[in-house]
Amino acid sequence: MSAHRIANGGRVDRAATVNFTFDGKAYRGHVGDSLASALLANGVVLMGRSFKYHRPRGLLGAGAEEPNALVSVDRGAGRFTPNLRATAVELYEGLNARSQNRWPSLQTDFGAINDRLGMFFPAGFYNKTFMWPRSFWEKLYEPAIRGMAGLGDAPADADPDVYDATYAHCDVLIVGAGPAGIDAALAASASKKKVFLLDEQDELGGGALADPLLWPWLAESLKDLAKLPNVTLLPRTTAFGYYHDNFIGAVERLTEHLPDPGHSAREKLWRIRAGEVVLAQGAIERPLVFEGNDVPGVMLASAARTYLHRFGVAVGSNVALMAVHDSGWRDVFALARAGVGVAAIIDLRETVDRALMDEARELGLRVILGSAVFGVSGRHAVKGIAVARADGALQQKIACDALLMAGGWTPSVHLWSHSLGKLDWSEEWGAYLPGTPNENVRCVGACGGKWGFGKGLNIGALPTPRDPAKIKAFVDFQNDVTAKDIALAVREGMKSVEHIKRYTTNGMATDQGKTSNLNALQLASSALDRPVQAIGLTTFRPPYTPQTFGALAGHAKDALFQPTRKSPIDPWADAHGAVFELVAQWRRARYFPKTGEDMHAAVARECLAVRENVGIFDASTLGKIEVVGPDAAEFLNRMYTNPWKQLEPGRCRYGLLLREDGFITDDGVSARMAPDRFHLTTTTGGAARVLNMMEDYLQTEWPDLNVWLTSTTEQWAVIALQGPKARDVIAPLVEGIDLSSEAFPHMAVREGSICGMPTRLFRVSFTGELGFEINVPAAYGKHVWEQVWAAGQAHGITPYGTEAMHVLRAEKGFIIVGQDTDGTVTPYDAGLDWAVGKKKPDFVGKRSLARPDIVASGRKQLVGLFTDDLGEVLVEGAQIVADPNQPVPMTMIGHVTSSYWSATLGRSIAMALVQGGFDLLGQKLYVPMAGATIGVTVVRPMFYDPEGSRLNG
Amino acid sequence: MVDLATRTAPVPAEPAEFPGVSIALGVPLARWSLRARDAKALAKAVGHKVPTKIGGTEGGMACLGPDEWLLRLPEGATISMGEGLPLSVVDISERAITLVLEGPRAIDVLQSGAPRDLSKFAVGEARRTIYETVEMVLIREGEERWAVDVWRSFAPYLREALVTAASHLR
Amino acid sequence: MILIHCPYCEQTLPELEFAYAGEAHIARPADPSALSDEEWEKYLFIRANPRGRHNERWRHVHGCGRFFNAVRDTATDNFELTYKAGEPRK
Ligand SMILES: [Zn+2]
Repeated sequence: MSAHRIANGGRVDRAATVNFTFDGKAYRGHVGDSLASALLANGVVLMGRSFKYHRPRGLLGAGAEEPNALVSVDRGAGRFTPNLRATAVELYEGLNARSQNRWPSLQTDFGAINDRLGMFFPAGFYNKTFMWPRSFWEKLYEPAIRGMAGLGDAPADADPDVYDATYAHCDVLIVGAGPAGIDAALAASASKKKVFLLDEQDELGGGALADPLLWPWLAESLKDLAKLPNVTLLPRTTAFGYYHDNFIGAVERLTEHLPDPGHSAREKLWRIRAGEVVLAQGAIERPLVFEGNDVPGVMLASAARTYLHRFGVAVGSNVALMAVHDSGWRDVFALARAGVGVAAIIDLRETVDRALMDEARELGLRVILGSAVFGVSGRHAVKGIAVARADGALQQKIACDALLMAGGWTPSVHLWSHSLGKLDWSEEWGAYLPGTPNENVRCVGACGGKWGFGKGLNIGALPTPRDPAKIKAFVDFQNDVTAKDIALAVREGMKSVEHIKRYTTNGMATDQGKTSNLNALQLASSALDRPVQAIGLTTFRPPYTPQTFGALAGHAKDALFQPTRKSPIDPWADAHGAVFELVAQWRRARYFPKTGEDMHAAVARECLAVRENVGIFDASTLGKIEVVGPDAAEFLNRMYTNPWKQLEPGRCRYGLLLREDGFITDDGVSARMAPDRFHLTTTTGGAARVLNMMEDYLQTEWPDLNVWLTSTTEQWAVIALQGPKARDVIAPLVEGIDLSSEAFPHMAVREGSICGMPTRLFRVSFTGELGFEINVPAAYGKHVWEQVWAAGQAHGITPYGTEAMHVLRAEKGFIIVGQDTDGTVTPYDAGLDWAVGKKKPDFVGKRSLARPDIVASGRKQLVGLFTDDLGEVLVEGAQIVADPNQPVPMTMIGHVTSSYWSATLGRSIAMALVQGGFDLLGQKLYVPMAGATIGVTVVRPMFYDPEGSRLNG
Repeated sequence: MVDLATRTAPVPAEPAEFPGVSIALGVPLARWSLRARDAKALAKAVGHKVPTKIGGTEGGMACLGPDEWLLRLPEGATISMGEGLPLSVVDISERAITLVLEGPRAIDVLQSGAPRDLSKFAVGEARRTIYETVEMVLIREGEERWAVDVWRSFAPYLREALVTAASHLR
Repeated sequence: MILIHCPYCEQTLPELEFAYAGEAHIARPADPSALSDEEWEKYLFIRANPRGRHNERWRHVHGCGRFFNAVRDTATDNFELTYKAGEPRK
């Protein structure tokens, strides 16, 4: 019998039995167990296979540092979580866990052949071997390596769980509820401060949980804290990252420990801003580096004490200790007192503290000083150890069923490092300790180096009588990095720890080197013959321990992933069968198919309806800005390319907006409602950007202007009515506006009412037809739409979507900013010279229109294209060449920006940006596509009614 | 006045009730965005008191920026549009809807996605701020009563997010 | 997530309410047409991009809406101070 539950002791509830399975086999544990302690109690020491060599592995530790015992927990469809540390999985009734990284089973793993081939897998093996030929990488090397390696399986199903999230603010945030953290909480709470105390474990207490002498104090303290209204206790909460200005990310596990998670949130993301942060994260014991240090049953001495005192589990019946530090002796004394057999205490030091020697003698323990373990027998569990003096003399074998390692302590400075606090090397600890802080933060207890674990040696690897080049002495257990890998990295020229890390992958697995970093540093220091401080320290980065994507996303999944903006008229479109598309965050009706229609047929029908009768279109998403103040016209005159000061109230104008570099950034039709009031429109996607840009100029360049900007995008619902019968439809609905062509010409605006609602009625057209845009307050948009729809029935009114809108405007050669322009197109390139006020002394972007590159020849210019084959619709984005027979790679002179089937014209039409395009009218160009080259002729981008005769119906 | 039956709102009219908090659609309001350099001149033009400290409120008038105010009045109210004056009055009555959160846990629901420390948000204070990615004007109308003005198209998302947060309250 | 002090609101608030707006104190020339191509290029494209102390613009876009200036250390992300638009370089 090796690992087993002892008769008495521990904090588990022995009266409460919990059934669980591991790799399909049923076991029993107790309430209060971790999966790790429960498996140990059942005598299970083999818990995983290593990453590279597939070596059998058992528990190294008892807490967050555990590198070996990674398991997957399956909670049903979509609830599969890989890479959980068995030490951090709370036992619950029905827990279904399995080991990872093995096939077909944990006991018999074919991948273990890698271990025998270890000589072929040195550090940098992947980098060196799988280089050429390149095609082999994708097809052969990568799939094979990914199949063999990897930690756990990625979940394949959608995550059915929901997650909670919040921001929180406190005066003092304490991370770690061990004795130091609890003391800090008690002290801070006395001052009425708002205090958060969080700890990653299910039970608060940290190291005190493994020290029965502290249990009365712990119970009393937690009782006191729980009573205080200004203290929030958060067990099962991991602070995973420490960001600027005392902003801490933490994840609270809410249902992971429950047999039935129900419908409540699985985890909660805490985004905490703290006045002061107190880090009390304790320290992690260091393993020792020697051959066989990864055999299941070789573990940290402190972990053995935790299993004993917290869980009532003995890790073996006959344990040995390999120590270079005092603390391990006390752990073994605790085991001996609990009745666990102790085979021997081996310490590399020739002398140790008198008190330790005395206590060992009292307990009748065998002590071997000045010696080291150099081998471990047993493959799936420790059977014995080989020991020799440091010089290799006096070799002997000792039978034991567990070997404890006491290599000294590494303060957990992870979060301190996230906060960019300085670290100072401590010779006493053989580790880095917190130095100068970068935030309002302090470290207390062991993580601040303020804890008495005793004395010890700082060494890289234990001495061995064997050839160090022929043994596997593990440094990073999770990534299978050995001492000789570090030596090899140094021999091959890696001098910085950052390079050694990347070459060997030491510290790069999910445990982030919690148990390996310092040993790797010591080994590199020896190999380079430079002090540890001269080698540097790799940067700790969030997360402290792995977190689920679900927790990090918080509420932001499914419908809450991001807002889907809908216009007031969207419900009508939905009810009338619209197919939608997303434009920025807006959901817009793309087309309205009738039964049996595909998009092509629906769009053709919608276009013809607008040209022949009348179409109705939801234009509510257009950006709108109300520009008000005595200097409104002056401001617009400075912003837009064309003149605005002479525009009469009641009239509209097309505005073209450039960035200061001369390139088109937005456009839209705007109206002067009054001498000091304009109603601007912008593109749907450009609304926020344009308002920001205008605010910028107004606030910082021309703060003297008396004019203000207000977004009115969502104030107005906009119903576009386009087609020869548009006026007939609205005539009976409109009051207070003379709709006649003479009284209300194209590019005019009137205020009145429609269907009893106040309206700003625009006479504008983005289709080339007689058209109106009816602006009504958003809450009444759907009502007015329905009234117009009803009135239009007699006139063949047809709803159309964005796709038909695109075709109709393209037939007229109207550009869409962002589709026919791409941030490198000037008004001249787009053929919009007419919209540039030549006599204006200045406007945003004007000076740039005279820059050498802008006036040079050979710029890409917007032209129309006709395909040779009328039915051929070019692909948007397709490249254009002058000579289709030139060798590949061809010289591309432009690309297609817009391309549609025009039902009106009975042929395809396209717009394109082509080098020197204006000089190529009538010329033949080519669009090479897979399988065929399409011939096109360059034309003016004005395909329909160039005289504009249809605007008047 | 227009017929109420013709109005539509982007979120359900029925309040969502949870232990400690209810989330309800507020009544329709008349809203104006007011801009001016001179608060006194603005007060005179629109006939309402104008608070001058950002975050302050006075009646239905909230100061959102150094030259920006939001005036919220009962539906149907009218004010002078300030024609020709060096100021800006814009009707934004229908740009936003109001969500009213009431109850002792309302602050927790709002804090779930608002990065600002709401425990420092005084009764009577009003500010433009953000909930996750959605901008809002937050008004603390009472110790346990908050009004959230949010643009119409963002309202369904914001309501859903607040309801989700409320459903997770423990 | 950094905290930024808005000189208009006189509050120190989470970064999420703010938007970065480029280097500060680059005034648009009063008469761009008077500038040579080289001068205009400098105004348009050439920025200091220092490692360390940087005068830059931010906008309290989800707050009071104002553009303001800040001195931030680009290496540490620490804000030294913020000040109102129009005030001299600090
Ligand atoms: Zn501000």
